[in-house]
This record gives sequence, C-alpha cells and structure tokens, in this order.
Amino acid sequence: MTRPVTDFNAMVAGQGGDGSLTVITLLGNLLARRGFHLYTSRNVGSQVKGGHTAGLLRGTMVPRTGMGDSIDVFIAFDAEAIEKGGSRVAQDGFVVYDSSGGPLPDGHLSDGVTVLEIPFGRLAVRDLRRELFKNSFALGVISRILTIDDADTAAVIKARFAAKPELVDPNLQAMIEGFAYADEHDMAEGAGPIRLAKVKADDRILITGNDAAALGFLVAGVRFFAGYPITPATEILDFMTRHIEAYGGVAVQAEDELAAVNMALGAALTGVRSLTATSGPGISLMQEAVSHAGSAEIPLVVVDAQRAGPSTGMPTKSEQSDIAMLIHGGNGDFPRIVLAAGNATDAFELAVIATNLSQRIQGPVYLMLDQTVSQDSSTVPPFDLTTIEIDHGRRLNQHQLDVIGEYRRYSITDDGVSPWAMPGMPDGMSLVTGNEHDEWGKVSTEPRNRVDMMDKRARKTDAVLDDLPSGHRFGDDASTVGILGVGMQSGVMRETVELLASDGIELAGLQPRTIWPVPAETLAFVASKERVYVVEHNHSGQLAQILESVGHSTDTMRSILKYDGIAFTPLELADRIRTGEAG
Amino acid sequence: MTDTYRPAEPIWCAGCGHFGVEGALLLALSDLSIPKEETLVLAGIGCSGTIQNNLGTYGYHALHGRVLPTATGAWMANPKLTVIAAGGDGDGYAIGMGHLIHAFRHNPSFTYIVMNNGVYGLTKGQNSPTRHGTRPIDAILLGLSVLETTFVARGFTRAPEQLRDLTVRALKHARAGHGFAFLEVLSPCVTYNDTYALWDAEYVDLDTDGEHDPTNRSQAFSRVTELHAEGRIPIGLIHHTERDPTAALADPSAADIGPDSHIASYEDILDRYKVERHNR
Repeated sequence: MTRPVTDFNAMVAGQGGDGSLTVITLLGNLLARRGFHLYTSRNVGSQVKGGHTAGLLRGTMVPRTGMGDSIDVFIAFDAEAIEKGGSRVAQDGFVVYDSSGGPLPDGHLSDGVTVLEIPFGRLAVRDLRRELFKNSFALGVISRILTIDDADTAAVIKARFAAKPELVDPNLQAMIEGFAYADEHDMAEGAGPIRLAKVKADDRILITGNDAAALGFLVAGVRFFAGYPITPATEILDFMTRHIEAYGGVAVQAEDELAAVNMALGAALTGVRSLTATSGPGISLMQEAVSHAGSAEIPLVVVDAQRAGPSTGMPTKSEQSDIAMLIHGGNGDFPRIVLAAGNATDAFELAVIATNLSQRIQGPVYLMLDQTVSQDSSTVPPFDLTTIEIDHGRRLNQHQLDVIGEYRRYSITDDGVSPWAMPGMPDGMSLVTGNEHDEWGKVSTEPRNRVDMMDKRARKTDAVLDDLPSGHRFGDDASTVGILGVGMQSGVMRETVELLASDGIELAGLQPRTIWPVPAETLAFVASKERVYVVEHNHSGQLAQILESVGHSTDTMRSILKYDGIAFTPLELADRIRTGEAG
Repeated sequence: MTDTYRPAEPIWCAGCGHFGVEGALLLALSDLSIPKEETLVLAGIGCSGTIQNNLGTYGYHALHGRVLPTATGAWMANPKLTVIAAGGDGDGYAIGMGHLIHAFRHNPSFTYIVMNNGVYGLTKGQNSPTRHGTRPIDAILLGLSVLETTFVARGFTRAPEQLRDLTVRALKHARAGHGFAFLEVLSPCVTYNDTYALWDAEYVDLDTDGEHDPTNRSQAFSRVTELHAEGRIPIGLIHHTERDPTAALADPSAADIGPDSHIASYEDILDRYKVERHNR
C-alpha cells in the first residue's frame, strides 16, 4: 500500500502564532536528513500575530525553486485553513485537521483525500497545558504518514529546542501522543501510506535570497549599511546589524528611506563600499538620491526586494512591478545598472558583482529581488568564497595622485570613468555635486560642457557591457519558441519547460540576470525566436515594454502576466503556454 | 605636488550675512590648524549651499534637505575627517527638519552650521519656517528638548569675534568626539529679508550674561523661552555638555575588506545555514 514519493509538497496553515512555520521547519529538517532538496515559503498576513498564515514546504530529488502544483499533506489548524487551502490538496493527499474548534467544513476537499480529524489543540492543553505543543503532536502524526523512523522525528525535535531545554520534554511527549494516535489508526512505525525516498546528499545550505544577498555584500567588502525597516527587505538590515560590526563596518537604522540612502551616499563619498536595501515604497522615496548618485558619480548599491504595489499595496505579497521605476526612475538621464536574481545563489553572486560594478562605474547599481526570492528558502550548494575578487575600479592611491600633476574629480576620459581620490588624501581636494559641473566639480551650465559631461557619464555603462552578468539558459536552445522571465518565476519556468517537453512542446528558456542595460544575450535570444513568452508578475508587462523599447516587436513577444500576489505553479504556467500555442 | 580645483568666489549679494559665516569658518579652521585635505564640508541647497565651493577643502553639495544624513554617513564612514555640514534655514528646518531631530538624538560628532536668514533667497523671497511674523520655529529650543543634545549655540554675523569663537568651540566639540555641534547663525539676507535692524534690536548675548550657565539644560531652556516671550532672541553658547557621544562608531574607511583575510569567518557565517545531512 505504501506509495513512494520523490516530490513531496506540504502545507501547514492556521492563525498567525499557531506555529505553522515551526512545523514546516521541523518537517524540512526531516526531509533534509533523507537527502531531499528543500524549498520553503510562507504565506502570511502582514499582522505580527493573528491573521491567517500558511507555511509551505517542498522536498525534491532535484533542486526546485518554487512549490509544486498540489499538496500531499496538509496540516490545517482551523476551518479557515481548509476553506482557503483545501482545493490545493492532491486527490490522493492527506489532511490532518485540528478539530478543536469544530468539525471539518464540507465541500473543500476532493473525494479521494484521506482526512484525519484530531483535536490537537484541545489535547495539547489537556495533557501538556500549552496549546503550542499541538505542533509536535501534529509532527508525530505526519512523520508516521511519511513512514519516517520515530527516532528521526525525536532527533529533529531535540535539535530544534536544544537552546530551550525546558521545551524538549513536553514537545517529545506531544510527539509520542501523535505516534499513539497513528498506532490507533493503522499507521504503525515503518508502515505509513507514504514512503519518502532516501538519497545521499551533497553539502547544502538552506538560505533565503535576502540572507544570501546580504552575505554576498559583506563578502564583497560592503562596510556601511543604512536602511529602514520594510517588508520584505528587513532581513538584510537585520543581517547587517548582526554581522557588519565584526568586520569594522557600520549598520545604521535610519529615520526614513531618504536618510538611509543619503547616509549611504555620504559613506560612499569617503570610499567605503555602501549599501541600502528597501522595497518599492522606499525605492520611490530614494529616486532623487539615485539620480544624484548618477550625476555626482558616487558608487551606490540599492537592493529592491519588490512587493505588490502600487502604494502600500500588499506588503507580504510578491510582484515585479518596480522594473520600470528601476530602469527609468529618477529625474534626468543617467547611467545605471539593474541586476535581477532568480534564487539564493544568484542573489549571492549578483551582490558581489553589483558591489564591484558600482565601484567601476562610480554610480548606482540596483539588485532587484522580489518577495519570493527574498524571503523563501531553498537548499543550494554552499557559496564558493575562494573565488571572490574585489574590484576597486579607478581609485587613486596617494602615489598615483601625487604624480598625476593635476587632479580633476570629473576628468573626461575615453571610458567616462574619472580617477578618484578620497577625502583625507592631500592634494586630492574636490567638489562633488549633483548640479551639472565642469571637470573640477564647479557648477556649470555651459552648453558644450553639458554635452561632454552627459556623454562622459553615458560611456561608463558602455565600458562594462561585456562584464555584466549573463543569464541562465534552459530547455531546448534550438526551439523557435522561447520563454523569458526573471526573479521568482525563474525556477518555475524551468519546471514548466520540462513538463511541456514531456508533452512534445519544446521551449528555449532564458532567465536574464542583467535587465539594464539590456544585454546582447537577451537581444539575440528574442531576435532568434518566432515567439517568446515573457513571463512577469505585474499588470502591464514592464519587462516586455523594456525589450520593446530596445527594438523588439510586440508581435514576437507574448506577455504572460500574473498579479494576484501568488507565484505561478508549473502546471498553471504550462497551461498558459499551451493556450498560447493553441491560439 | 598635484594641483586641484581653485576655490570659487562667493555668489552672495553684497552685504549678505553668509560672508561673515564663511570668514568665521576659515578663521576657525586656521585657528585649529585643521588641514584642508582632512576637512569635508557638505552643504545643502540654497544660497548658503555654495559655501563649500569657496574653501579649498573637500566639498560636497547634498540634495535639498539631506545634508545631515549625508554628513552622518560620511562621518560614520571616516570619523578621522573633520566633517562640517552647512546650509540654510529652508534646507534645514523645512524640507530637512526630520533629520535634525535625529541628528540631535544620534549625536554624531560633526559640526552643523545653519545660516538662518528667515527666507528662501535663491528662489527670490518665499517665507522660511523662521521668518519673523510667520509663527517661526526656534531650532535651539528644539535641540534643547532632545535629551541627547550635547551642543547648541547661536551666533550673529554682526558679532564676528563671537561667531569665530563659537565656530572654534563647535569644531573642537565635534573633533573631540563629544558629538553633534549645532551652530545656528543669524545671517541676514539684504535682498529679500533684511533683518539687520530687527535682530540688532532683539538679540541678547548670553555669553556676557553672568547668570547663564550653559551646562544647565533646563535653565537654558527656561531662559530661551523667557527671552522669546519678551520678543528677544538669545545668542551665544546656549548649552553644551561634556559627555561622550552615545554611539561609539567604527571607522570602516580603515577596515581591511579582504576578502582573503576574512574567508574563514565568512565560512563560519555560511556554516550556520548548513543543512544537517542524513547521518546513518
């Protein structure tokens, strides 16, 4: 009867504070011990406590960046969880329902679903005097469904509560009650209805995009961080606050985003690698300063962990609707670079690259994330720290400055980059301004100078075009039909392409990691296809509009858009493409 | 010897108070023998926001209202520099007011000189938040009301010796690491809001008032409030304390950013994310 599983999807849902995320963490640990790759996501209201919360977990044999189409095991702590999530449960799936608050609501589950109704909450209060222990009770039941050895389950609970020893015993007790319940319902140890595969695994880390990016910035030599708390970027502020001081750096929580970005500019002015991180509303406030970094030629890195807009929008939901602002925002014309990460590994690598690029172009570089990439966790190979290089761009040391003869902060050069001396260096005194200026930094509106300076600044990004990060390719490159997208749909697109290939529909895939300037790779990819599906989480097809603005026809590009705050699943995206191909 | 930019001539109207502020600042830098290459002057937007062009130091022209966060970032990143923020009352008390409160609160060790003329001169005469007869605010009282404040003073360009002395005191306070040195200067705009006669009649010099104790915050607050009620405006060293700044900050400009020297500790951070593998 036991069904072997190699792609396992679980969901735990209840009111915020129920501990849904703890169950997901423990279940993830159990899967990781069996060699599964993990992907975890949380679907939360923006309230701290209360409001409906779901934790999602996927375990797979190959790395996946996204949830599967249906849920194999659903732990529902209340009726609302069933009402909201019941339809996602697979036809042969399991629902473990906490009936403390009432019976299972009708009409939300497929006929084939197996339901276990257990008053976890009530039993936890009755036997252990604390409702929160219902989580370990549930874990005990689930581990039996999955035919996991009882000792393994006990081990992850002990490890989880190692720092709070007083919680170990009651959680183990709750788990044992879960086992007892399973025994009574024909799920003895080693004889559950589902059997998870077990494979040998390489070294892996489980990390969010935000933490991966923050570590990348630290490794790239960022030693000044200023930020203001905002969902879903706050973890970068938290990471920097925890770690940067040990490396002689400073992390500041500023009074607002205007202060944060200007603090970063002030620090960057002294030659220290500086960063700020925010989300769309903060990016809006920072536009003037980003434009200033372009004009005054100050290296600045800004992370945009995008969330659903406009305005305050849906703070905990994913979207990619800042693309146009990142590429075109800020007053005036100035060069900037926009990189986009599709998973944690990208986030780490691009953080390093963004930091070096900002030094090389002495100007603003954005790292674009989205709530899903920022906050969901996945297992990836440990980052390679041995190949990191620090590029200082055209910074002058004192000797170079001494022999230069005459120092002009904004000297006009072939590649537009001016050699740069830091405050504190004798004979390197300079005037830095966002006003149009001459080579010495004196304010100037002289027409000829204006043209020379605009052209000089524009040349800086041209000079680094060949060094901008390339994209990831997947699928059948020879196909005349392409699929293109960035950020959170990167992993989903790969899975969709595999699904469609098994149905005989071959697609060539590209996940660009540089979105501005539009790299030659993207131009060539789109130009070589008869059709390209451009997959975006926004309402207006902002990425497709950018590609159109650099010469691609809308006849070639077919936008596939989603803006409900929820990530595509592979089948859902495959259906949208099948529809497109049928039309 | 490498040459660099030549200091600019001031853009100000003849008779502008800002000449006096610039003169006092240059004399104070000279009195304290502070090298120009170790001085970073950041200025806001407005007539006053051109002072950095005239000094021969490192100069930075901030966005409108943002001179304080920019100076805070620069000072945190290199506290060995003598950092001086400068600007007008529109820049500092209107668009940038939110930052002033937090500068008092964080107490970063740099000097902030506000040239208060009660008017927007560069845009030809609009009211600023300090204009006489328009429900003006007093940033000295604001500073006194923030408990972390360590230095508040007000000068008047008609009292140049005192202004030079206050500038020296402010620079010394900040350079000694005692924190944020706030110096407002009554600096009349002869073109759009000529307040020479008004301030001549209103000012009261607390430096020459034997009863004023600048180390006593509550007494200073009372005195300033009482003088306002009498239609008078106090100048002098209003309040200072000798305690250390609240935030002791590192000097990232001196940090070794590696990466080779840090790889082992970066690996330690990475290890915290390692997934426990099957152990049987």
